[in-house]
Amino acid sequence: MNVEVVLTALLTAAMAGSIPLMLAAVGEAIGERAGLLNLGIEGVILVSGLAAFWLVLETQSLGLGLACGAVTGLICGLGFGVLATRGRADQIVLGLGMTMAGLGGTAFVFREVWGSQQPLLSIRSWRPLDSLLDWIPVIGPALGQQRWPVFAAWFLVIGLSSAIRRSKFGLQMRAAGEFPLGLEASGASVEGVRIAAAALAGTLSGLGGAYLTTVELGFFSPGVSVGTGFMAVAVAMLGQRNLLRVALFSLGFGMLTGLDTALQLANVDARPEFLRMIPYLAIVLTLVLLGRDAKSPAALGQVYRGLAGRR
Amino acid sequence: MQLWRWILMTVVGVSASILPGSLALPAVAQGVEVDRVAIVTPASRTNQGWDQQGVNNLESVGAELGITVDVVENAGYDDITPILNDLVDDGADLIVCHASGYQTVCPEFAQSTGVPVVVIENPGAVMPGLIADIETQGQEAAFLAGVVAGLETTTGTVAVVVSGEPPSWNYMTVGFAEGLHSVNPDATLIYQVIGDAAYDDAPNAKRVTESVIAAGADIVFGMGDGASFGMIQAINEANADRELEDAVQFIDVIGDKSGTDAGTYLLTSVLFDYTHAYTSLIEQLLAGTFGEVYTMGLENDGVRLLDLPESVSTDTRNQLTEAREGIIAGEIIVSSIADADGVHQRLDELFPSEN
Repeated sequence: MNVEVVLTALLTAAMAGSIPLMLAAVGEAIGERAGLLNLGIEGVILVSGLAAFWLVLETQSLGLGLACGAVTGLICGLGFGVLATRGRADQIVLGLGMTMAGLGGTAFVFREVWGSQQPLLSIRSWRPLDSLLDWIPVIGPALGQQRWPVFAAWFLVIGLSSAIRRSKFGLQMRAAGEFPLGLEASGASVEGVRIAAAALAGTLSGLGGAYLTTVELGFFSPGVSVGTGFMAVAVAMLGQRNLLRVALFSLGFGMLTGLDTALQLANVDARPEFLRMIPYLAIVLTLVLLGRDAKSPAALGQVYRGLAGRR
Repeated sequence: MQLWRWILMTVVGVSASILPGSLALPAVAQGVEVDRVAIVTPASRTNQGWDQQGVNNLESVGAELGITVDVVENAGYDDITPILNDLVDDGADLIVCHASGYQTVCPEFAQSTGVPVVVIENPGAVMPGLIADIETQGQEAAFLAGVVAGLETTTGTVAVVVSGEPPSWNYMTVGFAEGLHSVNPDATLIYQVIGDAAYDDAPNAKRVTESVIAAGADIVFGMGDGASFGMIQAINEANADRELEDAVQFIDVIGDKSGTDAGTYLLTSVLFDYTHAYTSLIEQLLAGTFGEVYTMGLENDGVRLLDLPESVSTDTRNQLTEAREGIIAGEIIVSSIADADGVHQRLDELFPSEN
């Protein structure tokens, strides 16, 4: 067995496979900064993934599919934002409801449209670094194997991180999560900022779902996200809602997920159940170690009733 | 005459009232009418695997015999007693509990209600008139798949990727390994488990399959249900950059995906056909002989190998025929190992360095 080839394959899979988690976790981090805890990401990923898959199947256009996923996510995010702010719905109940509706709804639609068929996509997208970095062992070929949406996702996250750090909206978003009363006193709309953050978060989760079904897998099946949305909530907390840190933790989690495969291939004498526990154990340990001083936004998950509501 | 009848009734009544609870068995179905049968599956009936095959086969038997078939899908692995009660309320004369995960709940339900059930991989629960068992031991057909893999591999490395380690998968893993070893003892066998019950975990199935392909496997024996499509897409992508003669091939289980998007690199499949099993069990219920173990094997075509593609050599076909006849004649004994520890031990014996 060529160890370098196997390591390259594992790294390639980790880089590509961590994108849905990264986009969803970054979206969740944005929402949480604005004070919104969205447990409905799993549902958003599924709905957007199905919509994107359907469009790519019909048009054979990956770009259109990704755009469709983003728009679907945007709509879901807007819905969550409006109901959680103007509707004053309990965010946890609303999020869980979205997840359940997404799980059931997509399974229903998929069966109505395709019955027991399982169509597969065979879109071959561009690899910007193909063979360019092969001289670097393991990392070079792994980067060369990545398709353009992987790089686009990283650029998007880096750009968003920078924009949110420097822009007025970024400041307002943090204020909406930490001290909404102060934000309103400054003349801004807490509801408006939170709805915008929810829409942005939904767009990112939708992109994640679209990437999963059209780029990573090339098919949709009911429940295909297998808990990515919930993992995104954990990773957002793990990364303390710092977008770049959240993105890097997502990549790290992807690599750890591949560790059990690597160890099984290396004939490590351990039970597969134990090996599969490693990434989750790592999350718990990291939460314990890094989470000591971590502070959640003061108004996270709380319904804001406004200055008028306090009088 | 009247007096004797009263004495007899009194004796029976008193006996029944003083019998300990454990001896007071419910009425057992014997030669009952069968108008309605039901099947309970843990996952979706469209999962392209175990659940779909069971439902499809029972529906075709129902259509053939003019019997109504009720399907309860996505029942999961929790306590399904409320579902079973609903089915009985709806008039089910027989319930097929289509998962080895229902080994306890269904026999208990049958004993408490007297409604006949069919269980999977639990011969110890069999009870005349009440509980029948289907042994879906695909190891014999999997042995044949191993023979094909051993003869057709060009890299000498073959992989088994499973979405869990339930008895059905374990039987086939061992059968496949023994078949591979019988024709190619020097082959390398890579065994990878995706997760504990990762039957729908397509993303991880894809990642794991990509890894075993990178490790040199050119034939992947995949047992996954919905997760199989992750394996298939990994193979499709790997083959996009390869010549046809170097293509990685897939061996599937349970259903027939040839002729679909997923069938492009399908070498063969270990097919499960419950049709004969269900027909026999319903006939037994009608005749009052219900309550036996039904084993799906090569002999009754309960399990078989999907027809091989034209690219497979005549030599392979001949050796396959010989192996099949040897198994049916009892000259080749394929191990029947249900537990995961037993699987790992057997793989270590057959391919000491790889697993």
